Amino acid sequence: MKKFLQIALGIVTSVGGFLEIGSVTTAAQGGASFGYKLLWAILLGTICLIFLVEMSGRFSAVSKHTIVDATRERFGFPFFSIVLLGMVLVAFLVLVAELGGIGLSLQLLTGIGFRWWAIPVSFAVWLVVWKGTFGLIENGVSLLGLVTISFVVAALKLHPDWHGVARGLLPSLEGDQKAKYGFIAVSILGASISPYLMYFYSSGAIEDKWDVTYIPINRIIAVLGMSFGGLLSMAVLAAAALTFGPNGADITTFDKAAQIMTSALPRWGLFLFAVSMLVACLGAALEISLAISYFFAQGFGWNWGESIGPSRVARFSLTYTIIILLAAIPLVLGIDPIKVTMISMALTAATLPLAIVPFLFLMNDPIYLGDHRNGWISNSVVAIIILISFVLAVISIPLQLIGG
Amino acid sequence: MEIKIQHLLGRKVCDVDGNDVGRIEEFRVERDGKACLVEAYLIGASALIQRLSAWTLVRPINRFLHGRSFYSIYRVPWQDMDLSDPHHPRLRIAKRDLRHAK
Amino acid sequence: MDLVRDVLDKRLVDREDCEMGRVDGLVMELGERSQPRITHIEIGGNALWARLHPVVTRLAAKLARKWGPKRAAPVRIPWSRVITAGREIKLDVEAKETGAIDWEIWIARHIIERIPSGGHEEEE
Repeated sequence: MKKFLQIALGIVTSVGGFLEIGSVTTAAQGGASFGYKLLWAILLGTICLIFLVEMSGRFSAVSKHTIVDATRERFGFPFFSIVLLGMVLVAFLVLVAELGGIGLSLQLLTGIGFRWWAIPVSFAVWLVVWKGTFGLIENGVSLLGLVTISFVVAALKLHPDWHGVARGLLPSLEGDQKAKYGFIAVSILGASISPYLMYFYSSGAIEDKWDVTYIPINRIIAVLGMSFGGLLSMAVLAAAALTFGPNGADITTFDKAAQIMTSALPRWGLFLFAVSMLVACLGAALEISLAISYFFAQGFGWNWGESIGPSRVARFSLTYTIIILLAAIPLVLGIDPIKVTMISMALTAATLPLAIVPFLFLMNDPIYLGDHRNGWISNSVVAIIILISFVLAVISIPLQLIGG
Repeated sequence: MEIKIQHLLGRKVCDVDGNDVGRIEEFRVERDGKACLVEAYLIGASALIQRLSAWTLVRPINRFLHGRSFYSIYRVPWQDMDLSDPHHPRLRIAKRDLRHAK
Repeated sequence: MDLVRDVLDKRLVDREDCEMGRVDGLVMELGERSQPRITHIEIGGNALWARLHPVVTRLAAKLARKWGPKRAAPVRIPWSRVITAGREIKLDVEAKETGAIDWEIWIARHIIERIPSGGHEEEE
């Protein structure tokens, strides 16, 4: 029964992990600019994430190590410190974007500017991590996240062109505006394939005390959970395509993005959009804060655990406290969270190889995984993801400058 | 004399004639009761693959690319290593007299 | 046993399975004609930072002297205290007495426990 509940909750967990300000912003921009033509990017990102999440969970369930643990042990401290620096810097930017997303949602609901919300929001996020347990964060926020199904409702109410949707699931090269098309495709992939999700999921498997008997459940969670998140992103893109039409305006503000909901649901659209974004960004902010703290704690061998009292995991608690406090500063200074989002998605794409290449080695390590090592299918998929990640790493920053 | 293992790791090793042998990638030890004695030093690129437990990954890729079979891990018994200058480790024997590790 | 693969950078726990950090360094003693032996495990301090760059070592030492438990040197545990070396390295010591978790204790006492609800709570 407990394992069945894990599946049900694992599915909705993807709401906080997959659907957040980055995936909504990039999907909305993609739909507004190019109609259904970028659905393939979301599909590709979802497939990649399914494999990466399944592997992360399997790795921890079998080896009883987190990915960070194993990266330090297998590759040594000097290499680990490079990965730490890259992953933490990018994750921090994403955290700023997520806190900003919560602020923008509250701005939509109350009319009070997001800068004024920066400190209360950061405090609220910190309080949930400080006083909450892993179960509360994993399950509570995810259940609230069911409100994001309203994106699917909105897309269906706008009557999508299903032939166009089917065509959009296959890659195509856009005629004109190639740089912008490429940039948004890269950003969508960067928003989908987020390394922090792997580190969080792997740590969660240890927090939840998974063992080899959880391998089948892990597979189900990865497939159904990430598919659910991918479906929500596709709904955002489709709703944006129908609201703004291809070659529509650039979606640079939250108010504009909210139109994808208000056009379909005039009465409740604004409220549903704001609440959906608030819950999704809150879930993501909690996950990223913990992911960064897990990285430091596991890498340096500190006590760690979300369900343990703060004073017993003092350095771990101090880390997330400092991280969340620092993340509020750019928002207080008025830096636009949407701009931070687009930059952080491109940087995520650029630093993917740092996360994925060591991961390939770990998933083939007989000492950690024994007979549960990757087969040729999983290895082939990871190899393709590595190829994609190197291509993204090379082109994301130039595209950011040209097409962003 | 005290030496830190982590400072020796990756250091280039020359043989008694000054020829390059490779880099120190691993230290094979034997636990003898409460003591831990260094048996041998593993030198060479394949020793790095061994340390990363990456043979299950590297061998199939090498076969797929029809690469030559490669395996160069030199096992240097402790008696044959001169660490009087830890920054420049040297063998007490010639490279041709080295044995490959299993 | 292979030192780099099986010992270096591995997690350390004490006899009560309390986290003690990681194996940040290993000390080898060289005799004139005797077989080299591993004498100590090093935890923290410049054992860790020296693996990056001398500048990082100097900066870390400066910070450690001014703040926290004011300890810059690494903690050294004799190899003879190693009980088992498997998934983690288990030592026949008590973590608090070694100095390996001085920073953890200092931060708990001076920062975390001063914040409301920062004290000891029940595990989930």
